[in-house]
Amino acid sequence: MSPTPIEAVLLVFILVTALSTALLRDVLASVIAFAAYSLGVSILWVVLQAPDVGLTEAAVGAGVMTILFLLALANTTRPPAESAIESVSPKTALAVVAFVLVMGATIPALPAVGSPDGAVVSGNVTDYYIQNAYSETGVHNAVTAVLASYRGLDTLGEAVVVFAAGVAALAVLRREEFA
Amino acid sequence: MSSGESTGLYVESTIIMTTVRAVAPFVLTFGLFIMFHGADTPGGGFQGGVVAGAVVMMLAFAYGIDATREWVDSRLVVAVGALGVLTFAGIGLGSIALGGTFLEYTLYPIKKASKYGMEVVELAIGGIVATVVVGLFFVVADGFGHVIDEGGEEP
Repeated sequence: MSPTPIEAVLLVFILVTALSTALLRDVLASVIAFAAYSLGVSILWVVLQAPDVGLTEAAVGAGVMTILFLLALANTTRPPAESAIESVSPKTALAVVAFVLVMGATIPALPAVGSPDGAVVSGNVTDYYIQNAYSETGVHNAVTAVLASYRGLDTLGEAVVVFAAGVAALAVLRREEFA
Repeated sequence: MSSGESTGLYVESTIIMTTVRAVAPFVLTFGLFIMFHGADTPGGGFQGGVVAGAVVMMLAFAYGIDATREWVDSRLVVAVGALGVLTFAGIGLGSIALGGTFLEYTLYPIKKASKYGMEVVELAIGGIVATVVVGLFFVVADGFGHVIDEGGEEP
């Protein structure tokens, strides 16, 4: 399946911003490129009809993470950048290319986007959720039904992990209160 | 050192203050909408909590981090998160107490128990996430100079 023009533009944008994040010498520029990367990914999720994931990526990746990075930068010293681009040693470049090739080799094993034979589409579990989510849980958004009902225990674990992460940050920074 | 630097971050700007004053209520409403309406439209507690927490960041951006820190009650921030964990776990374990399995909403004796139970759970998640987002913001804004200073004094 060839990507639509919108998807192609988004993929190029994501690739360029991802490379900029890795290669820009200035950390502030890197953070800004990373925010642009997150925004691109979130739009791609929406284009691929996963608005729940897109919303999370936009709010957390592009929004809050950028602000936290900027705050961390403001509290540290930023070394002056002699050149705009990070110099990459041949060894690093070789390792990155090898990693990309290995990861790329797994792509043919994935079903095409929207393929009717994909495990997600043809799986019994997906079918069950789509058929029964509304009648069993009473909510229209099947994603919410899975998160808050069918997989509620997992979500409780996730929520507690988020809470624990906040508590751990307090403990590491030896503070007793958030605000 | 750290508090001096965090005030140094702040630039008082009429444009930013006016914009934030106009936009903040709508962002908070949008965050609450995502949280409350996650059952029928994309979104839910996680996303809505982050957006609602971002309102505090916007206020800090416009009016200064230290001023916002004084305005926000630190007990309220912790209480919202802790209450979220307790509510979620309470609803989950409550249905076991009623003789069912974990998070079996339909056992609660209210109309559309499943739907409203999930709404409450989403709100609880939103509270947890908003607390942690706001908390991390203030903690990171404060820097970690004091930790290094304290660490140096220890034997």
